[in-house]
Amino acid sequence: MNTGPNGRRTSRPARPAPGHRLRRLALYARSRAVPATVAALVCAALLTVWMASRQDTYLDPYRRVPLVALAPLLAAAATGASLHTHSPELDGTSVRRWWPRRLAHLLIVGALAATLLALAVPGHVQEFGAAAMVRNTLGAIGITAGGAVLVGARLSWMPTTLYFSAVYLSASSPRVNNATVVGWLMQPGPQHGAWAAALALFVTGTALCAARGARPEGPRV
Amino acid sequence: MTARVRPGGDGPAHTPTRTETAHGADAGHGTAHGNGPGRRETGTRHGNGPDDGNGTTLGAAPGHDAGPETGTGHGHDAGHGTARPSAAGLRTGTAPVTRPGRGGGRRGPGAGGGRGRLRRSAPHPLRAEWLRGFAPWAGAGLLLALVWPVAAKADQWQGSWGATTYTLSSAAAMISVPFALAAGGWQGGREHRRRTTELRASTARTPLVQLLAAALPLACWLAAAQLLVTAGTLAACAPYASAGGPAYTVFAGNALTIAACAVLGHAAGRAVPLRLTAPVLAIGGYVTVGALGTSRSDVRHLAFCMVQVLGDRDLAVWWYPLVSALWAAGLAAAAVLALTAFRRATALLPLGAALGAAALLVSTGDGLLRDNPLAHRQVCDTSTTPNVCVNGTYPGMLPEVTRALSGLAGRLHGVQNLPVRYEDLWRSPHRGEVQLPNLGPIGWSVVRGKVTDPRRYAWEAAHMLVRPDCGKAPAERITVTDEAVLRWLAPDPAYEKLRASFRASARQERNTKELAKFRAEDTAYARLTAMSDGERRSWLGRYFATADDCHPKPSEVPSL
Repeated sequence: MNTGPNGRRTSRPARPAPGHRLRRLALYARSRAVPATVAALVCAALLTVWMASRQDTYLDPYRRVPLVALAPLLAAAATGASLHTHSPELDGTSVRRWWPRRLAHLLIVGALAATLLALAVPGHVQEFGAAAMVRNTLGAIGITAGGAVLVGARLSWMPTTLYFSAVYLSASSPRVNNATVVGWLMQPGPQHGAWAAALALFVTGTALCAARGARPEGPRV
Repeated sequence: MTARVRPGGDGPAHTPTRTETAHGADAGHGTAHGNGPGRRETGTRHGNGPDDGNGTTLGAAPGHDAGPETGTGHGHDAGHGTARPSAAGLRTGTAPVTRPGRGGGRRGPGAGGGRGRLRRSAPHPLRAEWLRGFAPWAGAGLLLALVWPVAAKADQWQGSWGATTYTLSSAAAMISVPFALAAGGWQGGREHRRRTTELRASTARTPLVQLLAAALPLACWLAAAQLLVTAGTLAACAPYASAGGPAYTVFAGNALTIAACAVLGHAAGRAVPLRLTAPVLAIGGYVTVGALGTSRSDVRHLAFCMVQVLGDRDLAVWWYPLVSALWAAGLAAAAVLALTAFRRATALLPLGAALGAAALLVSTGDGLLRDNPLAHRQVCDTSTTPNVCVNGTYPGMLPEVTRALSGLAGRLHGVQNLPVRYEDLWRSPHRGEVQLPNLGPIGWSVVRGKVTDPRRYAWEAAHMLVRPDCGKAPAERITVTDEAVLRWLAPDPAYEKLRASFRASARQERNTKELAKFRAEDTAYARLTAMSDGERRSWLGRYFATADDCHPKPSEVPSL
């Protein structure tokens, strides 16, 4: 029941002002630094294009290995940082549930990152090309989202960076390189085990972050 | 919240008595607020919101504040809540403590235990920075990230000091350096994240001391993680290495470089405190290492920690890692001084040292590596025919190699015209010598002091006896004879399996020429096997008289 302009009660619900939903989205985007995140994703894609413009990356697929490892790392760091909020107490007073918004946030930013980076990497799709880029981007975002739950959004780059570094360096070991699940990051493209590992990380990290949210930043931040 | 009270109000500042006061809900930051040297306060201290126990620890030192209660708070005795900075956080208050922080357990029993009950000297401000906050966690994270690849590649370095040095250096360059830059950047942005920049700037210490107090614990933790992994790796290598020793200056240089990178990142994080500063520093570290490390020019020696010693053939000159560390440390010192020094021109001094070190590295180029004297020697077992020699960098492998070749040596016993020895030097074999199949790089033929597949190794050694390094195949009749001799000298089940698959493939394709060749080889092998020992020795003696000739006339090679 609402009160009309003449003071009498009416049964019609109050209509939101035009553009109300859009303003809410804009406010959310600003509070999560989404424009800066999108800019970082575009920069990662442009950097990939620039580094891939060397001729040998077309000829030798192994020259693209650093690209499909570094670009997802940067995209995931930007995505993780965008989960930070400056007003957790204020967010906690919201009457609506937060998990759908966090889930949508991660899915949309993840899809955007995977698309941009897949378009940026040249060469054959299945040999350290677009497929590996999409897989690594999703896996990195999954680890980062999980890291945000554990160590906070602004520090979520740390687990991903350490994990990617360790796997990248150990890839020359036949034991790691032949293990498509453990070494999923360094597989050329269509290996089922690598995709399963990356998707599992993405689903787990995203679900965890959507359900719990990023950890409030504490004394170690 | 604790405040320190001088007994009688004018006692020495280094013998404080603790009393408990509190500053509202957000009490607990460890830094005095806004009271410069000489300013007095009475019984209160300014909290600053995020009651983080590790605090900035940059507060005035004991004795700097002349007041009866000086704001010399250290993070260790502060609360550890997670309240965010707020206006109330900068208020002062005098409410009694209701929830002691972590450090509360070390206080006297009960708040306000009375002056004189605890007369301990205040712990050093760096203690909280060392033991709490981000630095120990970063060290632990780096430790795990280093242990994984080093352990995964253990087959490739255990038993070789050169391979161990290369593994540790590449791990430092590709993991530790980018992470140190990023972690330093994160630490450098700490005051900005906590909104305590002004609070820190108001303390009595100089900006340089403030920065170093925050940066050095992290740098030391990261260097300690690298040194711990290095120590473990060297301990794991030692039981399988039989000559040479660790390159200690390389590891010391790596640790110094990592510490310098942490400080360099700290300066960058302090100067540009953005959300993505830390990961961008890490990416920048990877790109720099990748671009410089894979370069073919002498600029590659400027890559941090990338001491490019491959295997045991070369050693780094002793000063190379230290000058490389000076290059990194000079840059870090220049950045720090440019950011914090009262006279910023002093930054030119370390910058000049860094550029001098860089010029020395680039101009010296390949001279940064020298030959390993052990690589020019070999140890031999003269009890076999041919003699077996292994390189002086792994003399402990001689019994294992001799054992692997014992079957081959037994079949060659008494045969004339054989090479004198298998040699294992990095040069072409002299006349009368043949090359021993490669034992290095570690991880292929040899793992942890054992030959991984002795039959395969003997098969390779047999191939070294028969027309080695001949590009073009000789006449088919000679090829058939060679094949029969090799199959008899060093039977290898894996090779027989491969041969059977080729034969089946030829049969499937009805390749009559290939099938005829297989039949001829089998016939020749059967004839060689059917010979008596003396007859075979005599035949092999005539055969090996022509075995080092790439293109002998068919009439010169005895037939089967």
